[in-house]
Amino acid sequence: MSGHAVLRGEGLTIRFGGLVAMDDVDFVLEAGEILGVIGPNGAGKSTLFNLITGLYRPSAGKVFLNDRPLNGLPAHRIVQMGVSRTFQSSRLFADLSVLDNVIIGMHSRTHSGVFDALLRPSKARGELQQAAAKAGDLLRSVSASLYDQRERAASELAQADRRRLEIARALAAEPKVLLLDEPSSGMDDRDTDALIADIRGITARRPELSIMIIEHDMRLVAELPHRVMVIEYGRKIAEGSFQDIRNMPRVQEAYLGRKAAAHA
Amino acid sequence: MNMATALDSGRLTRPTFSDFAIVVASELVGAILLRFFLLADDWRLVGGILLLFCVGFAVMQIRSDWEERIGGAFSRASRLAVGLAILLVLLFPLALNGNTYALHLLIVSQLYAVLAIALNFQLGSANIPNFATGASYGIGAYVSALLAIHFDINFWLALPAAAVVATAFGFLLGLPSMRTRESYLALVTIAFGVVIHQLLNNFDWTGGPNGLVGIPAPSLFGHSFASPILLGGIKLPSQANFYYLSAVLVGIAIISAQRLHGSRIGLAWNALRADELAARCQGINVIWYKVLAFAVDAFLAAFAGTIYAFYISFISPDNFTFLVSVTIMTMVIVGGMDNILGVIVGAFLLTMLPEKLRAFSDYRILFFGIVVILFLMIRPQGLFPQRLRRYGGSQ
Amino acid sequence: MTAELMQQGLNWLTLGCIYALIAVGFSLLFGVLKVIHFSHGDVSLVAPFVALAALQGLSASASGLSAIGLLIACFIAVVATGILGVVLDWLVIRRFRDAPAMMALVATVALGIALRESVGHLFPNGHNPQPFPRLIEADFNPTEGFTLPAFNLLVIGSSIVVVALLFLLLRHTPLGVRIRAVSQDREAARLMAISPSSVFRATFFITSAVGGLGGLFYASYAGVTRFDFGIQAGLIGFSAAVVGGLGSMPGAIIGSLLIAGLDTVVQATLPDGASYRLVFAFLLVILVLVFRPAGLFGSVAVEKV
Repeated sequence: MSGHAVLRGEGLTIRFGGLVAMDDVDFVLEAGEILGVIGPNGAGKSTLFNLITGLYRPSAGKVFLNDRPLNGLPAHRIVQMGVSRTFQSSRLFADLSVLDNVIIGMHSRTHSGVFDALLRPSKARGELQQAAAKAGDLLRSVSASLYDQRERAASELAQADRRRLEIARALAAEPKVLLLDEPSSGMDDRDTDALIADIRGITARRPELSIMIIEHDMRLVAELPHRVMVIEYGRKIAEGSFQDIRNMPRVQEAYLGRKAAAHA
Repeated sequence: MNMATALDSGRLTRPTFSDFAIVVASELVGAILLRFFLLADDWRLVGGILLLFCVGFAVMQIRSDWEERIGGAFSRASRLAVGLAILLVLLFPLALNGNTYALHLLIVSQLYAVLAIALNFQLGSANIPNFATGASYGIGAYVSALLAIHFDINFWLALPAAAVVATAFGFLLGLPSMRTRESYLALVTIAFGVVIHQLLNNFDWTGGPNGLVGIPAPSLFGHSFASPILLGGIKLPSQANFYYLSAVLVGIAIISAQRLHGSRIGLAWNALRADELAARCQGINVIWYKVLAFAVDAFLAAFAGTIYAFYISFISPDNFTFLVSVTIMTMVIVGGMDNILGVIVGAFLLTMLPEKLRAFSDYRILFFGIVVILFLMIRPQGLFPQRLRRYGGSQ
Repeated sequence: MTAELMQQGLNWLTLGCIYALIAVGFSLLFGVLKVIHFSHGDVSLVAPFVALAALQGLSASASGLSAIGLLIACFIAVVATGILGVVLDWLVIRRFRDAPAMMALVATVALGIALRESVGHLFPNGHNPQPFPRLIEADFNPTEGFTLPAFNLLVIGSSIVVVALLFLLLRHTPLGVRIRAVSQDREAARLMAISPSSVFRATFFITSAVGGLGGLFYASYAGVTRFDFGIQAGLIGFSAAVVGGLGSMPGAIIGSLLIAGLDTVVQATLPDGASYRLVFAFLLVILVLVFRPAGLFGSVAVEKV
């Protein structure tokens, strides 16, 4: 961790009609840091990601990437600036090959336009072949078994491999910040262990990469993040190391309900 | 890793003799079947050839290894395949015994093949419903015809001019796609097609419902396209000029489609077909790619429209109705979305079949409607489903 | 001048009511199915042909019953159109419930074409326009220069009654509650032991029958019916529903009145305006979609990620 803020949110608020889904949330993500985001279902964790990635426009508040404001930029520009994400319910391009999914992830790092494709096909094809080679390397570095399945349709993959592919696709855009939305959902313990190892491998190779990770699996939250923030009803209610967080009565209430927390 | 290299090298191997044999045999069989189909007068013969086609198709469905084998042969011996195909297209009119009606059918089929390839960029690659391809086709035809009639501009200049105008309209039509999707966008395209048709029908300068007549035939190096081709004692009817012209256009359409499909642009279209929101989150400017698909569709359709106008030398709004757009859509759906070969087969089949089965040509539109519904219910991927891309020899 | 204005106003209301009867179906079907049923216009315009056929059948068996005969024929047509809607759903549309929206869209467009052509082929000489009688032949003359045809009163009156009944049905009957439940959350409704397919059947019957009534008025207003009227009627009805906001019944009615108003103004002011009527209606649709993509009364759905 080099100590400067890569991604910063200030007073993020969004209202849908009368419903306040996110209320005045601040956060800071430092270079090389893994920040866990936890909270009960429907607390607004995914909404936070949607605000950062430009899918929703905040009603108030700002997001900065290396002090450059992201507000108002369309989603595809934000990817180009270096923020990639995965989705809670995996959203792969199901009828395309595994390799194509990763190559599409490189869209913002490749450049051929219509006229290149039509009039300078060798240039366009050369770029795509290079992208395919890079995508192959990336797949291999994330998971050897995924690499072996690179020519299958993404829809044919097993659940754990889909998650891996989504992470590989997000990495293909060479992000500075990676947002992982419940990567372990639908995984058993063995897969989760493998996932933790995968993410460790990724951060070992990319020490500058900062990660925000939404999780429910407390094992993962205990092991991976440097810091954890807790969201409830669209507000940030706590932040700190996992050890500190889990003893806070407010967090226990949020998770277990007031009565159960009193007994715990 | 070892397995991977083996796979890659398998794709790179030089064509074997049997590859050549397979390519030559399948192209010849295709050409001969097409010839007999075109010249068949008896509905029993037509039915027989269709049956043969169905049997062949069914065999391929059951023995997918054969299909793989043929596909492999074509990709390994691709030079031979393309060369032989060009030769067959060149020589084909000689085999038609001077039958001008067969040539006419071929020209129309080829123009529809171009239109179907054009629509395929949207419907097949990007999953955008566009019911206005017929309108772009009409804009191309009218612009070039007006230029030729009123300003004496020749065909070769009118062609790009018409394409530019139609593309501009394509952009315009694509703009609402920024804000609207699916049903709403479909309504906008239907509305656009109807509006263009009504305007053509009502304006004086487009000739109203009577259309435009007397579009002059193009000429090339002093050879008028209205006169027969004479070459070393061989005489081909004047339609052959337009046959070759439209064949060149089909070639251009195929090359453009392949290049776009095998590029970053084709991938971006496929991404927004599969999941628009996920595509945005991969850095794809979906609005630009949607508008682009509209523009490319209009560009190619205008080419086809121009050739049609100069070939028939008479156009009227009724050549470019909503039903024309639906017909083109049927061809794409039947042939197979995002499969270039499939789309061309779809265009040929659906142009020729109603003409060949005369007794039933009254029921043509009903037939199209039912065919689309049945295909969407039973085989939504079409006769020739899309294939996954392969990247050979890169690693 | 005022008489002229009143005449045009009457014309506007009449057209608006006819469009609304069709547009309401588009909106309600979209609300329940979440898919556009593009062939709804064609279904609606089958009604005049059924009525003509029934009229012929009736006059063959008993003569001299023209007014009652017409009434019976129209009743048969409305019921038959309702049944047709249910049958088409059973044959085709239900197979696209879980398919991508694009496929359902193309399928229903094709269904409209097939339906139209079937009418053209099945009805004797059906590809030519068929004269269609005025449902009531009587004119009132309340003031100088202003004629109030009984037909217009019939259209406006019965449209108000039908729409009111639809509102009552949706708000205050068990069936209405089930329809609204399914349109809000199909899965939750299923868990509450509401069978979505029976709700779909009921919705198809109601909307198609109401559309059929609209189709009868449409043909009677024009004095003829054509096998391809369904395209125009469908496009206008769908446009009205979109302008108002798909899924909103009041929206569909206001959208219909807006499009009918534009239609009347264009026809009254432009020379040869009748041939441009669709052009202006569609310009309105495109403008509304560009500035308010969910229509005037629709709410923008937030996509769930």
